[in-house]
Amino acid sequence: MELFTPEFGLVFWMFVAFALLYLLLAKTAWPFIIKSMEERAELIDKGVAYAQEAKAQLDSAQAQADQLLTQARQQQADILREADKMRNQIIENAKGEAAVEAKKVSDAAHVAIEQARKESEKQLRQEVGEIALSIAEKVLRKNISDDQAQRTLVEQYLSEVKPAK
Amino acid sequence: MKKVITATVVFALIALAAIGYHRASAHAGGTAPEVPNAKEIIYEHLGDAYGWELPFNHDLRIPLPIIVKGNSGWHCFLSSRLENGATYEGFRINHGEQYNNKVVEVASDGSISRPLDLSITKNVAAIFVCALIVTLIVLSVKRWYVRNGFKAPRGGTAALEFTVDYVYSDTIRPILGKHAPKYAPYLLTVFFFILTMNLMGLIVIFPGGANLTGNIAVTMTLAVITFFVINLSGTREYWKEIFWPDVPMALKCPIPMMPLIEILGMFTKPIALMIRLFANMMGGHMVVLVLMLLIFIFTAMFNVYVGAATSVFSLAFTLFMLALDTLVSFIQAYVFTILATIFISMALVEPHHEKE
Repeated sequence: MELFTPEFGLVFWMFVAFALLYLLLAKTAWPFIIKSMEERAELIDKGVAYAQEAKAQLDSAQAQADQLLTQARQQQADILREADKMRNQIIENAKGEAAVEAKKVSDAAHVAIEQARKESEKQLRQEVGEIALSIAEKVLRKNISDDQAQRTLVEQYLSEVKPAK
Repeated sequence: MKKVITATVVFALIALAAIGYHRASAHAGGTAPEVPNAKEIIYEHLGDAYGWELPFNHDLRIPLPIIVKGNSGWHCFLSSRLENGATYEGFRINHGEQYNNKVVEVASDGSISRPLDLSITKNVAAIFVCALIVTLIVLSVKRWYVRNGFKAPRGGTAALEFTVDYVYSDTIRPILGKHAPKYAPYLLTVFFFILTMNLMGLIVIFPGGANLTGNIAVTMTLAVITFFVINLSGTREYWKEIFWPDVPMALKCPIPMMPLIEILGMFTKPIALMIRLFANMMGGHMVVLVLMLLIFIFTAMFNVYVGAATSVFSLAFTLFMLALDTLVSFIQAYVFTILATIFISMALVEPHHEKE
């Protein structure tokens, strides 16, 4: 049964070989390999998480942009409506103001006309008086007896012909 | 269908070749075949040897150094000096009941004794070849990381890295938890060393062909080292559970029954590791050898045609067995590693609090 009896030389060399192999690999290779593998696994995990986060962020950004766009559209519509309203109001205001101004101008014109009329009436009256007087003078020059009495008479007549207002 | 035809043709050619070879050797004046000594042939193939047989030649051997310490002190010479029963410096290779195929010292009165034998035999040389292969492949993985940093490896390195990851991340780390980095170098070395020895044993020609993990000396060394790793990392709780376990007093006080069983358990664990690996690998090799020998046995017992027919079946079964052994090589290396990991984790037990 030599298969079942361990040979001392083989045990000895097996131990030596295994010890050398273990010392060499434990010192130089295994910790480094394990560390590198774990670091890479971590890196990949992080990368995946990052990508997922980025995707989520992109999706939310898209939604946000859509929302902003809708908001902007609404704002635009609001502004347009506002502007329209304002324009109408301005026009309305301008119209009113113009009417007031026009009324003012026409009022002033009325006053001026009235004044002018009064002035001219006064002047006319004076002129007519003078003309009448001169006429009367001319008429009466021939038979002037009492200049003062004549003038009062003329004045009296003129008052009578004063047009009814 | 094409494959079936190809296989049939190949097997027919094998059978025809066997018959042809027999006819040719008969013409050359060969003697009638005799029933081979199966036991001797199997033991020769499974056992150790001084010198490493070259492929396809039974006589040419690579000489290996013989290192022995006999009564006359240390001797060191090449195994080629002892070929064909020659005696050199008082040593020869014995053939007989005792010390069969071993170097013995011949005293002046003709009596033989076994010297302290530290020869670099075929198995020892194969162990160092395997250790060298493991070193090279592991360092190649390391070199990848040194050179390429975080890039994913390709090709062979990727396969190795996958294996390392499978053993470390899926086995060692879940079982050992925070202790994993401390024991990982040992367990990974064990795994790759066993795997390499198993696979090299399946390659029948020169750099392989040594039945290492099917040799009890090799598995015993691994088991003893594992025994020390397990017990030297034992916590107080581990030793307490062995010598004063949580069982009724009657089981441990007058007669220390449970402690005895626990102490026995300390030894059966590594012994189970040793026997499992040894028996699996040796069994696989033995089945292949027996299947091959069947061809010659049947040829001798009946005639060459029976032998030729047997060769077809033997080869088919051998092919199947070798494929199975490749699988077993991996499984046994993995099982040894995972069981060693579990035993270590059992030795690292922390005191558990009583459940309310």
